Amino acid sequence: MTASAQLPLADDLFLTAHDSVKGKCLLSPATLGLGMAAALIGELVLWRRLDIVDGKIQIIDDRPTGDPAANAVLDQLLREGHHRAVRDWISFLATGVATDLVERRLARAALVQRQEKRGLFGSNKVSFVPSDSMIAGWPATRIRTFVGRGEYLDIPDLVLTGLILATGLDQHVFLTLDVRDRTALFEQLRRRLPAMLLELVGQAEAAVGDAVMARRA
Amino acid sequence: MSATATKPPQSQLSTALARDRLGVAAVVFFVMSAAAPLTVVAGVVPTGLAVTELTSISIAFVAVAVVLAIFAVGYVAMARHIANAGAFYAYISQGIGRPLGVGASWVALLAYNMFQIAAYGGFGAIASPLFDKWFGLDIQWWILALVVWALTAVLGVRDVAVNGKVLATLLVAEIIVVFAFSIADLFSPNFQASSAPVDVSSLVGPGAGALLAMAITGFVGFEQSVVFSEESRDPRRTVPRATYIAIALIAVLYGFAAWSMISAAGPDVVGRAGQEGPDLFFNVASDQLGGRAVDLGYALFLTSLIAAMISFHNIIARYMFSLGREGVLPRAFGRTVPGTGAPKNGSLIQSALGLTVIVVYAVAGWDPLVNLFFWGGSGGGIGVLLLITLTSIAVIGYFVRHPEGEDFWHRLGAPVLGTVLLLIMSYLALSNIATLFGVDPGSKPTWVVPLAFAVLLVAGVIWALILRGSRPQVYAGIGLGARSATSTGGFSAALASTEPKDHQ
Repeated sequence: MTASAQLPLADDLFLTAHDSVKGKCLLSPATLGLGMAAALIGELVLWRRLDIVDGKIQIIDDRPTGDPAANAVLDQLLREGHHRAVRDWISFLATGVATDLVERRLARAALVQRQEKRGLFGSNKVSFVPSDSMIAGWPATRIRTFVGRGEYLDIPDLVLTGLILATGLDQHVFLTLDVRDRTALFEQLRRRLPAMLLELVGQAEAAVGDAVMARRA
Repeated sequence: MSATATKPPQSQLSTALARDRLGVAAVVFFVMSAAAPLTVVAGVVPTGLAVTELTSISIAFVAVAVVLAIFAVGYVAMARHIANAGAFYAYISQGIGRPLGVGASWVALLAYNMFQIAAYGGFGAIASPLFDKWFGLDIQWWILALVVWALTAVLGVRDVAVNGKVLATLLVAEIIVVFAFSIADLFSPNFQASSAPVDVSSLVGPGAGALLAMAITGFVGFEQSVVFSEESRDPRRTVPRATYIAIALIAVLYGFAAWSMISAAGPDVVGRAGQEGPDLFFNVASDQLGGRAVDLGYALFLTSLIAAMISFHNIIARYMFSLGREGVLPRAFGRTVPGTGAPKNGSLIQSALGLTVIVVYAVAGWDPLVNLFFWGGSGGGIGVLLLITLTSIAVIGYFVRHPEGEDFWHRLGAPVLGTVLLLIMSYLALSNIATLFGVDPGSKPTWVVPLAFAVLLVAGVIWALILRGSRPQVYAGIGLGARSATSTGGFSAALASTEPKDHQ
């Protein structure tokens, strides 16, 4: 895989959530988890495995996808057919499940590496950081470049944009957009993001707000 | 999937989501940590004795507890039916109407800020003589106030995660100290069981409103219990139980502590309170406990105030975040620091306001204990009392339209009774405001505080009506809170920014 290839949605969001210089995560673990959860569900929508209607997940195709992380989520959705609220699934996957799946997928592609840090009280903190500082910045750069050229983003990048805004990452990665580009980007979101994915991102954003109120963020 | 058809396996999703469900104790803890026992018992009560010259404070704590418990019946019942429980304006928006809800949200902001800033003044006033006594340092109150202000501001904007555990530890220590000191009072040579603090007739006498307003400051924070409606183990039982337990605990602890302090203070308790101020609580127990215990008590008093500040600061910042997400306040308040999730802008504004007030008081030379700590605290208490009263009316309004799922007592019986009692209390508090502040009737503070609440209420109503005309989708979401899918974070704001009014 070359560095310039577009990665699965959740991978792109994970990389975007990391500082391109120091590799540090820009989001709190809880917010990152919510982003990863929504992104993995988004991947399944993009794989045409499920629909989101009125806040509920409907499985339209139970065949495995070609991707282990998305598959793991699909399997779980199939196993727990009585839970359908997308908000519950975001909350559940955000408890560490989603971040874990995405980290493993990125590690297999050698795009992130394990980093152990000695904690304050001797406990080791394990995290995954982009193996190359260039990689972390790539998805956001792609979005900015497309918008700067006045080109259309594809649907996965529109969802990525939505999740960047929903998690508050825009305060890092869209800071350099001028008013014209910003307006153009938002215009694309509004006009071209399919309703289901729009609902998904909206639910993710509400979950982030909820986490802030409950001091879980 | 037929393999799993016989017996559904343990749902991982249900288990994971249920893991951090809260029990009664956790909710009580959270509520009490905002209540700050030593701040009330050693700070508010002696200052109140001196300012109002009223001693029947114990019975006032009990009376307020009874009224709040009756109010809480409908309050926790409605919490089960609405989103964003825990904010009075959410109830008022859905029970009375969105315009009054926005007005109430602004009144609440002022009332909570009054508490917060009162605590800065209280800390400065109380710590200044202590620093002299302990370290021989003569430090102006406002310097110390600015130090804790800075601490709160930094912790607030960074949203330090250890807050919860520290607050819980301090709270337990505080309750032990309040209890131990009050028990020690019983063995003081001066102790003579006084009937004045529990004189029921004082509740209908002149100054009753001042007593009740003072007492209610001790309970502020109890309304936060319903925040956990959706996170508690059993929404029908955990939150109601925690609420009643917290109210009862507060009443018993404060009522007992005030009674034993007044009983042990000798015949001229008002005079002593005037001279000794917050020291009174410690002085009356000192001959039984010795200097070490008293120093420990003082140290906890200061940490109690700091804990209350941090706790309130976070409540205010989150409250502004929620309002920002709804579009009731500017959207900038709905943003957080991505790395910490801290509601930064609400925190910064609160800090700016606090700084301004401290500086104004320092420059004007006003008394930090009476004019800032006590006036601010009891003025905020009146604000909260008015909000509770409106909320009680809202509960009736809501259940008249949505009677499903609650019995008569929860829907109407308790709310109507509670509303009547709260209306009487509000009237008494407002008409006794001169006594409460210890000033002449008609003087400036007696009308500035109610006027400020009234102005904000009306301004909020007007703003809501403007929203109804210009941004109907924002108006529709009023009172639903940050967790609602209609709320406005960066993403929804982006959608709305280029949007002509064709969305709805």
